Amino acid sequence: MNRVKETLRGLVQPLLAVFIGLIAGAVAILIVGGNVVDTYAEMWKGAFGNFYFFTNTLARSTPIILAGLGVALAFRAGFFNMGAEGQMILGGLSAALTALYLPGPGWFVCIAAIVAGIVAGGVWSLFAGWLDARFGMNLLITTLLLNYIAIYFGGYMVSYPFKDRTGSAAMAQTPMIDQSIWLPKLFQGMGLHAGFIIAIVAAMLIYWFTHKTVTGYEIRMLGSNPSFATYGGVRRIRMMMLSMVVSGGLAGLAGAGEVLGTQYRFLDGSLSSASYAWSGIMATLLARSHPLGTAVAAILLAALQTGAMGMERNTDVPLEVGSVIQAVLTLFVSAQIGYSFLKRRKEKKSNATTV
Amino acid sequence: MQQLFDAAMFGSTLRIMTPILLAALGGALCSRVGLFNVGLEGLVLIGAFSAIVGNYLFGNVLLAVLFSIIIVMLFSALFAFISINLKANAIVVGISLNFLAAGVTTFALRAIFDVKGAYYDKDMVGLPKWDIPLIKDIPWVGDVLSGHSPLVYLGIVLVIGLQFYLFKSVSGFRLRSVGENPIAAQSIGIKVRGIQYGAVLMCGVLCALAGAQLSLGQVTMFTEGMTAGRGFIALVATMLGQANPLGVMGSSVLFGFMEALSIRLQGFSLPTHFTLMLPYIVTLVAMFFFKDRTYAQDALKAGGSSR
Repeated sequence: MNRVKETLRGLVQPLLAVFIGLIAGAVAILIVGGNVVDTYAEMWKGAFGNFYFFTNTLARSTPIILAGLGVALAFRAGFFNMGAEGQMILGGLSAALTALYLPGPGWFVCIAAIVAGIVAGGVWSLFAGWLDARFGMNLLITTLLLNYIAIYFGGYMVSYPFKDRTGSAAMAQTPMIDQSIWLPKLFQGMGLHAGFIIAIVAAMLIYWFTHKTVTGYEIRMLGSNPSFATYGGVRRIRMMMLSMVVSGGLAGLAGAGEVLGTQYRFLDGSLSSASYAWSGIMATLLARSHPLGTAVAAILLAALQTGAMGMERNTDVPLEVGSVIQAVLTLFVSAQIGYSFLKRRKEKKSNATTV
Repeated sequence: MQQLFDAAMFGSTLRIMTPILLAALGGALCSRVGLFNVGLEGLVLIGAFSAIVGNYLFGNVLLAVLFSIIIVMLFSALFAFISINLKANAIVVGISLNFLAAGVTTFALRAIFDVKGAYYDKDMVGLPKWDIPLIKDIPWVGDVLSGHSPLVYLGIVLVIGLQFYLFKSVSGFRLRSVGENPIAAQSIGIKVRGIQYGAVLMCGVLCALAGAQLSLGQVTMFTEGMTAGRGFIALVATMLGQANPLGVMGSSVLFGFMEALSIRLQGFSLPTHFTLMLPYIVTLVAMFFFKDRTYAQDALKAGGSSR
């Protein structure tokens, strides 16, 4: 009974946040002179209106879920891994190159490409963790800087050595990956691919890992109270490396999934311009680093994005309203984390006075 | 080599350095009162955008800069309220502030100018270029130091002013005491929250100026996400300079020089990807060589941080 109550209470705050976000969106819609109800109706239709739009939303949420899960794990351990974007790009690039140049049967190459993506993302993330553990370089900053290096490196690789020279267009991209290697689509003619199932399974696995295993418990303990964790014998550096590797690996998997399931090639800028990684970080903040919550929040953010696109097609309201809603939502949630803390402290105080 | 390191190159170093320097000084103020402001990037972005909007509305550069200062102060007040009054983790608030800045500027770009991605008006007048009398006639020095926007000179003056303020004035001493030990500061009657608010709002002013230099300094235009990580580089400059105005200036010069060099190198037959990567690599290398242990301790003290 208590458990149900707790879950319900956990739901109130996110719902309140969504509500506040929608109010901010309504203000934005009014500013550009749109009709709030009609606009939101179009937005809903764009995200969930029919089966095609719905699967489209889920397809968009796939990389957001995976990147968000990675960030959530690092946040849980108390490390601000802001490098999901770079890790995702290197993951996508390695997956594309593996798929293009590794011989063998399709299913084998596909799995190898996914593994290559995970490894590339994990190594890039581990590098930042190593710089912090070994040299004391602030992880938050190094991961941010490594993003830019990864973006330009990816751009270079597909502009010079691995550029597609067969097509007529002068796009910075690799050649198309062979069809036998593609991740299968879940429904005929829809954008949703097997990567979504991988993402959901990953969310469950990470939940199981953080909440039901000893290592996961140690990671959570390290994040919520570092001194206590060290006192209790948690090896901080080891946990840091572990959480960073898994975190980067998930971001790399997100990139690999996009390349093998949607784009079938690595196109410069396609992963960063859709800002999947940053949406993943937002999802993590919204769900306060809870793995299953992150998956739900990722689908919500994806719905806001696809919904905003649908809205722009059918009304005069620009799709940027969607990003206003997302940003206000996130800010509100981060403020809430503080507010609940404040309330707790006040309760303590009043207890002290009554005694 | 001769054509690589000419006077124009050092001149552009000064110009490029200014947004980083101004934002980093703001970051230094925040960290002196114990707040690690990751939102610099977002504040500078809002500053750049509102400077353009102000210029569009009033047709006057001075009013544009003032408008930008007011808008950015509002956003930094929001940061202050959430992280000081609601006691939210300043890093998380900073990250969401960056999201908010990106969202609001792209939306407002569409809502006000009805364009996507970038706004450019060739008739818009940017910041004036000041020629310094006497200095401009010295052959090499004149080319480097003269003919910049007022904000470039303001940045340098602010470094000296802040250095003096923080380390030689009573008020500066109080400000530092808030960051060193808020409880001790409070016990001798210093208004800790008031000083923290003051520092964050001042940081907003500096970020607005940084943004104005970005969008009105050289070419008068705004592009989506035009800060391109400069706010984060400013954060590194704050850390490397140990939140010390002169030190911050030193690291900003380094980063400004690297960016100027990377722009200059594009004229050579190098892939632009590597020249664009250069400032970020140098920032990483600089972090490697100039580690700041006190920062690590501060972060530990503050509880949930990256370390």
